[in-house]
Amino acid sequence: MANLLLEVNELSVSYGDVRALTDVSIAVDDGAIVALVGSNGAGKSTLLKAIAGLLHPSSGQMFFMGESIDGLSTKHRVDRGIVLVPEGRRLFQTLTVRENLKLGAYLPRARASYDESLERVFALFPVLKERANGKAGLLSGGEQQMLAIGRAVMAHPKLVMVDEASLGLSPLLSAAIFELIVALNQQGTTVLLVEQNIHMALKICSTAYVMKTGSVVLSGTGQELLASEDVRKAYIGERGGRR
Amino acid sequence: MGSFAQVFINGILLGSMYGIAAAGLSLIFGTMRIIFIAQGTMIVFFAYVVYWCFQKAGIDPYLSLFIAVPLAFAVGLGMFYLVFRKAAALEDKNVSLLIAVGLMYLVENLMLKVWSANPRGLKLDIQGVVIAGWGLRISVVRLILLGIALVSALVVSLFLKRTRLGTAVRAASEDMEATTLQGINSVWVCAVSFAIGIALAGAAGVGMATVYSFDYKFGFTFALKALVALALGGIGNVFGALAGGLILGVIEQLASYYIGMNWIEAVSYGVFLLVLAFLPQGLFGKRGLIKKV
Repeated sequence: MANLLLEVNELSVSYGDVRALTDVSIAVDDGAIVALVGSNGAGKSTLLKAIAGLLHPSSGQMFFMGESIDGLSTKHRVDRGIVLVPEGRRLFQTLTVRENLKLGAYLPRARASYDESLERVFALFPVLKERANGKAGLLSGGEQQMLAIGRAVMAHPKLVMVDEASLGLSPLLSAAIFELIVALNQQGTTVLLVEQNIHMALKICSTAYVMKTGSVVLSGTGQELLASEDVRKAYIGERGGRR
Repeated sequence: MGSFAQVFINGILLGSMYGIAAAGLSLIFGTMRIIFIAQGTMIVFFAYVVYWCFQKAGIDPYLSLFIAVPLAFAVGLGMFYLVFRKAAALEDKNVSLLIAVGLMYLVENLMLKVWSANPRGLKLDIQGVVIAGWGLRISVVRLILLGIALVSALVVSLFLKRTRLGTAVRAASEDMEATTLQGINSVWVCAVSFAIGIALAGAAGVGMATVYSFDYKFGFTFALKALVALALGGIGNVFGALAGGLILGVIEQLASYYIGMNWIEAVSYGVFLLVLAFLPQGLFGKRGLIKKV
């Protein structure tokens, strides 16, 4: 039985009067890859933002390594090792690749292992080393996604949350990014994944949660959900059929 | 030809005041996304501080740079945490803009109360000193003001490029939420960049006190001119803003010499509109990158 790294307990989040999440509970084991899947507007990104401390839940609890992180600022969550790679990558386009990575290791704890982290990022993504002094905005889409993940690795994280890593990338590049996420995970970093490419996400994850209109409606191992008739019909549907 | 060179030099010297004000506006705009309309008024305020240091304590106006700049930085931090902190976090930037307008009138009226409506100006021996040669005449105090503007821009630019916090300021100017996601305290980053903008007003105040005679309302025009300079130079680049100021100064002096004194303002704001309409990134804005973002 693996240790629990992150536990989210009956979390609810509202944007003004609009309920975005209702009583969502998930558990992420230390060392696992966990996927959140579901259609647009299901609340997956909202859940990641709430875990990152960007949104304030109206009720529910979150525990990281057994300690409550409710009410902690994003800064303190990053310091504990919770890092979000946001949707759309959100790189600092006018800054160089190296400056982006440097900002990823901004906090003292991360700064202490800067050289080691940089080596790790350059080993995972050699292209970033070649482009280190170029502007991030001039990278290709795939390279930008690598930099976004690399920037998160610089924070020396225990949990990396990746929101829509494959969005806008070709199938080939998506597969490459997924391979890199698996490689990152094998180095000991726990990964919480939000993906529109459900088939791929279910293939690499150990556990997955299916979300719909702000709630978790189904969960299981990736294999179970891949085999599930309901999931195939509802989410993989046509795309699965074409394969 | 000699007169053209003289007009050009006069323009550069006039423009250094616009440039240093514009550099402050650019920095503050970067993180707060507002035109800090009170910048000119803050410059006048620090000009009064320099004036007071001289009158009450006999402190040399150039030495008082070391008082005005740190004081301005502290005032900037205080102002940010006191009145801007909540508004800066809002999506709607109009609130911050309104606060800036309110600050401008508040500070103007406080200055009116304390220093009266009479124009003030320092009487210094150095003001009469002129460098002459090749048929040109350059006022030394104005030349020093240009120097202050250049050094200030250089210091700020080095801070932004070379330091960790400066890099964070540049990052926050681009994407505040992504900056927060790196574990960076983006409120502090905003506060610091605002305070540096006000510190530039402190440096500009020394220039104003040594070159101009000023009263409590004198600042608003400078804020507007700085805005024109910012439009010319493009946002997000300290030297671009400074260069925008110098170019505006030259344009004004050329207009004054070749068209007529009373055309200065019309030409400035005409250029402002033309640039915004046809070159919205300014003369040095990096079009390619901005488009991509």
